Amino acid sequence: MSRSPVQSRSTVPVRRRLIARLVGATAVLLLLALPLRAQEPEQDRMAKLDPKTRQSVELLVDSAMAEGLPTQPLRSIAYLGIARKAGSQQIVAAVHRKLNALRAARSVLGRVDTLELDAASSVILAGAKPSQLETFKTPQRGRSDLRAFAVWADLIMRGVPGEDASSAISRLWEDGADDATFVSLWNNVQSDILRGLNPGTALQNRVREAPGRPPTTKGPQTPEGQENARSE
Amino acid sequence: MTDSEQHPYVEWIASEARRPVLMDPGARDRIMAAVRAEPVPSPAPAWRRFLQPRVFHMSPAASTLLAAGLVGIGVLTGVVTTNRGGHTAEHPRGVAVLPSQPPVSDTLVKFVFVAPQAQNVSLVGDFNEWDLAKTPMIRSGESGLWTVVLPLSAGRHLYAFVVDGSSWVQDPSAPIAPDDGFGHANSVKLVVRGSSS
Amino acid sequence: MSDDAADVQRVLAGDVEAYAALVDRYYDRCARFAIRMLGNRDDAEDALQATFLRAYRALNRYQERDRFSAWLYRILVNQCRSVAARRAHRERVFVREEALLLNAPDRSSVWTGEDEEFVQRVLNELEPLLREAFLLKHIEEMSYEEMSALTGVGVSALKMRVKRACDRLRERWERIQHD
Repeated sequence: MSRSPVQSRSTVPVRRRLIARLVGATAVLLLLALPLRAQEPEQDRMAKLDPKTRQSVELLVDSAMAEGLPTQPLRSIAYLGIARKAGSQQIVAAVHRKLNALRAARSVLGRVDTLELDAASSVILAGAKPSQLETFKTPQRGRSDLRAFAVWADLIMRGVPGEDASSAISRLWEDGADDATFVSLWNNVQSDILRGLNPGTALQNRVREAPGRPPTTKGPQTPEGQENARSE
Repeated sequence: MTDSEQHPYVEWIASEARRPVLMDPGARDRIMAAVRAEPVPSPAPAWRRFLQPRVFHMSPAASTLLAAGLVGIGVLTGVVTTNRGGHTAEHPRGVAVLPSQPPVSDTLVKFVFVAPQAQNVSLVGDFNEWDLAKTPMIRSGESGLWTVVLPLSAGRHLYAFVVDGSSWVQDPSAPIAPDDGFGHANSVKLVVRGSSS
Repeated sequence: MSDDAADVQRVLAGDVEAYAALVDRYYDRCARFAIRMLGNRDDAEDALQATFLRAYRALNRYQERDRFSAWLYRILVNQCRSVAARRAHRERVFVREEALLLNAPDRSSVWTGEDEEFVQRVLNELEPLLREAFLLKHIEEMSYEEMSALTGVGVSALKMRVKRACDRLRERWERIQHD
């Protein structure tokens, strides 16, 4: 291709030709690139497991389905195991562990939605006893216990003794604590622990500060109500 | 409407037939029992996915080509990577090929992680099958701040940051989720419609 | 996203129980159509069970731009046809008993207003395709376009079927009047 000296120094016409060629090639690239790097469907992701492991995981998922338990948390654990390059036995054990935790949560909470069951199972996996979930058994309109469960599991993971965490969270929940209260409690306890305070002590301190039932503005409180508000 | 359709007898038949019917109350339970015994319906087959909004990962070269071809192709939307000062991106970037608005019920959530020494950081979680390649984080300037924004459904999400492809790190600003069974605890993100924390 | 679409998404994500919400939302309406179409509860229940199961299996083929009810009804109409076809086969074997039932005397020549069985018998007299079109138009109150999308039959053909169904009903009324 002959070019004038001026043209050969200018990059614009060359770039234009190049872009024109690239545009032409784009369609081909598009077709090639899409199937190779497209977002992997769940089936393909499971295919990363060896057939035997995959079958074991699918059996556990089937059990969950048959029992009316959520299956996505189980699959998610399998994907996590794949990403962590964990061994087959470890993956199957982890999925099984989660399934058992879901079962335990279901046995106490009954028929609650997937998210709640998943969050409750995490609390059990953190070390709480299923019976400690009793407080959350009664569904409450307009209230979500996801935050309470998240904070609860976190406190146990940070070293707060199980009984302390359970009774603090349950009591706050019974007192009608909202999301903001749990968030605030968590922020405070977390920073106290980071400053070196004993986790159990940190929690006890901060629970005392947490607002209990909002004081009734209409009419006098009953003697029992007043007593409860004062006690710790 | 024809004469017959407006005939009072016909109208009467129709109005009687519109009355609700009494069915065996156990019938719905039997349906759900049968449904529970079924495998979960699998996502749409491959050819159908071309019809749905997707995010694709392409090499910087390919995404440049797509950008160049923008006029011709027409339906291309979304973010294309720019290379600053000749520095090529470590990771393939996401290019939205078809309109990929998040479902109305999803909330945009920003993840932030400080790692000045890191070469690359990925966000992994139950929203992207813990796949390191799916959600690379973007470093802003010299501060070592890595961020990414993505749509998440309302509810509870587990996640972690993966630094330089191999170090799994919790989000220090988030509650800890228990050991995942692989020796590592992840972080919890609660998404309430319209906001997250 | 509509409630239906949201529930579908939840099911596809693995939350099987979300399907119960869809069943609750549509069961009664579907049951009414199935009973009116098939004329008896047993057959209707079979059709309904098959419908909701098939819908569940095919959920990944539901696209949000479709109305879920229309999508579900396509399955329902087909299932009712299948059940009717199976029954027709059965009936050929037991034709004598069925014939006795079908020839039972007309319950009433007076409009009782509460007689579900009477109305059902009247509907049963319509040919299946006419009955189907009549039900979709006047009980489900669908537009002809919706019916066409659902049955695969052209709008004018469907209008013809509805007209003929209504003509038959009117003829029946006139027969009663002159008895």
